[in-house]
Amino acid sequence: MAGSALRRLMAEYKQLTLNPPEGIIAGPINEENFFEWEALITGPEGTCFEGGVFPAKLIFPPDYPLSPPKMQFTCEMFHPNIYSDGRVCISILHAPGDDPMGYESSAERWSPVQSVEKILLSVVSMLAEPNDESGANVDAAKMWRENREEFNNIAEKIVRRTLGIPT
Amino acid sequence: MRSLSISLLSLTLTSIVIANAYYQKKQFYPSVVYITKSNPSMAVIYIQAFICVWISGKIMRKIFFGQLRTTEFEHLMERSWYAITETCLAFTVFRDDFNPKFVALFTLLLFLKSFHWLAEDRVDYMERSPVISWLFHVRVLSLLPPARLALTCTSSSSPEHAILLTVVINIAIKYALHSVDLNSEMPWDNKAVFLLYTELIMGLIKVIFYVAFVAIMVRIYTLPLFAFRPMYYTIRNFKKALSDVILSRRAIHNMNTLYPDATPEELIAADNKLPCNHIFHTSCLRSWFQRQQTCPTCRLNILRTPANNNNARPAQQGPRLPPQNVFMNQFLIGPNPIQFFNRQNLGNMGPQQQQPPQPAQPDQPNQQQPAASGAAPGAAAAQPQAAVPRFPSCISRSYRSWLRRRCPPQNLATLSPEELQRMEGNERENVEARIQCLRNIQVLLDAAVVMMQQYNATVTASTQSPHSSSQPNVAPINIPQPSTLLNPSNHNATATVTPDQHDPAQTAATAPSTSTRASSSTDGGTSTEFTKPSTSKELETEARESPMTPEEEVRRRRLQRFQQPAEAQQ
Repeated sequence: MAGSALRRLMAEYKQLTLNPPEGIIAGPINEENFFEWEALITGPEGTCFEGGVFPAKLIFPPDYPLSPPKMQFTCEMFHPNIYSDGRVCISILHAPGDDPMGYESSAERWSPVQSVEKILLSVVSMLAEPNDESGANVDAAKMWRENREEFNNIAEKIVRRTLGIPT
Repeated sequence: MRSLSISLLSLTLTSIVIANAYYQKKQFYPSVVYITKSNPSMAVIYIQAFICVWISGKIMRKIFFGQLRTTEFEHLMERSWYAITETCLAFTVFRDDFNPKFVALFTLLLFLKSFHWLAEDRVDYMERSPVISWLFHVRVLSLLPPARLALTCTSSSSPEHAILLTVVINIAIKYALHSVDLNSEMPWDNKAVFLLYTELIMGLIKVIFYVAFVAIMVRIYTLPLFAFRPMYYTIRNFKKALSDVILSRRAIHNMNTLYPDATPEELIAADNKLPCNHIFHTSCLRSWFQRQQTCPTCRLNILRTPANNNNARPAQQGPRLPPQNVFMNQFLIGPNPIQFFNRQNLGNMGPQQQQPPQPAQPDQPNQQQPAASGAAPGAAAAQPQAAVPRFPSCISRSYRSWLRRRCPPQNLATLSPEELQRMEGNERENVEARIQCLRNIQVLLDAAVVMMQQYNATVTASTQSPHSSSQPNVAPINIPQPSTLLNPSNHNATATVTPDQHDPAQTAATAPSTSTRASSSTDGGTSTEFTKPSTSKELETEARESPMTPEEEVRRRRLQRFQQPAEAQQ
């Protein structure tokens, strides 16, 4: 019998393949290593990210359901809650105890009952509604708050770039 | 490509140096002396030696590990930078006896260390990969003994040696645990515990070694700066492992003692319930408690919450049934009154369900069905809920086996006299068994009546004080006095059935009571084999005949109310 983390990841992969949530595709990059996943997230409708397809990488720790995975967008992103290198700053990905921004209540943190699907859905809703208080990307947060037009323009550019359309 | 060109360059440089020396001195010995005297040529030779070591290391790695994965390579690089820095620091301490031999020793040590790290990563990888080939096992197994052998050979710098030895032992234990787990089909729950304790003990040993090493170094040489970083990390890891062990032990202790296991009808098996009523596998909870002592769903702090399991049981609502229902649901015998009683015990009965027994009656079987199938997933749920009564499984089972054993052959004429004689004996046993069976049934019927009476009492109480209806389990439960014990063997039979079937909570329900009433209450609940002359009318007459206290009067009236719809259905 393989490790519990592996079993859990295989189960989640199966679940995601059988009943994929709308606008989300996820799975291991290589079936020999279930601890590195790739996910494709479509921008939520009715937001400035609408229509975009954003690739991201998920790295799972060896003790997976006990510790949260790490998520990083592999394309260029401009969003208040995404660091400039693509790492996603969202409370569901933080284990209770470490709090990079010092504002999160433990109720919205990682717990073993969460899953990849829930993470990706949270990321989709984060794309739709940025939390400008946590400010992983301060420029983006500032622009989101003060100059929404400009923000929307940049977001549209990014969407075009992910689709391979020249801007 | 780059490394290839570097090694080629160094090779040509070395050959140039050697050729030059040989060209100048013409003889072997003088040329060796020439090379060792000249600093530039010595530098070239050192570089060549370093590259040779590097290449041999690569070959070894290829043999023992094959292709390194990216994470392994990153780990290796990170750790070797630290190790190299520390080695340089160590040279400052040992500068007095700094010589090529010493350098060679440290290089060898570095190599051994890197192989240990790789082996550690590899063994951890066992848990992650779905496919572990035999080559993997061969490699790891062949790696472990040489590592130990090499260590004993280079035991000069003793503290490092001891620490590496602990690493080897740690890897070996982990490997053993993982491979046992890998070969077993069932998930091995205790592995996490073993791993945790291995970590703890190895951490302790390492801490001891480091402290001893630093103490010795301070006495003999000077403050060993290079040992501080690993010592700090070792101590930190040990502290973490220790606190993990302590906290998880406390939480697990709480889990085992204070929170009840989920009862079988709540979930299949091996589950555990937290004070917030969330249910998890014990093994899952154990590994989570090693991190966090909270409920994974609602994040209730387990250590700070006073366990209130005694309250938790009755307070829970919804599909989880109180434990009494294990017993109660076995009594889902066809007709209604008992089901009513059962319903009352479901624990979360609203007033609207409680008040009118009559209009709700037709729905009862349907509503009851899911609860029944949930509670007794065996034969009871499979049987259609028709006129055929359901016996408590123990009796029906014994009856069936008894039928199988005792059925006489079809044609008696074919039997020899001995066989006939034996059959006579069997027939006597037969009768005895039948009587026993009847007694058992009687006990069950008695219990049913007691439950009915209990129901009556509860309804009485709830109609008297509407507030109590919200807390059905707290409602007064009047166990009626055993009134007319018509059958003296009744008492005896109760004793024979109760132990395997009823837990202490239900002993009240099996208290002997009137047997005639019992039979009447489950009219139609017995098969033809065990027919009892009973109708619901009889109950009323019987009840009227017996002298009555006011309480009994109330009970009788309640019973009458039952009987009317029951008859209407029949």
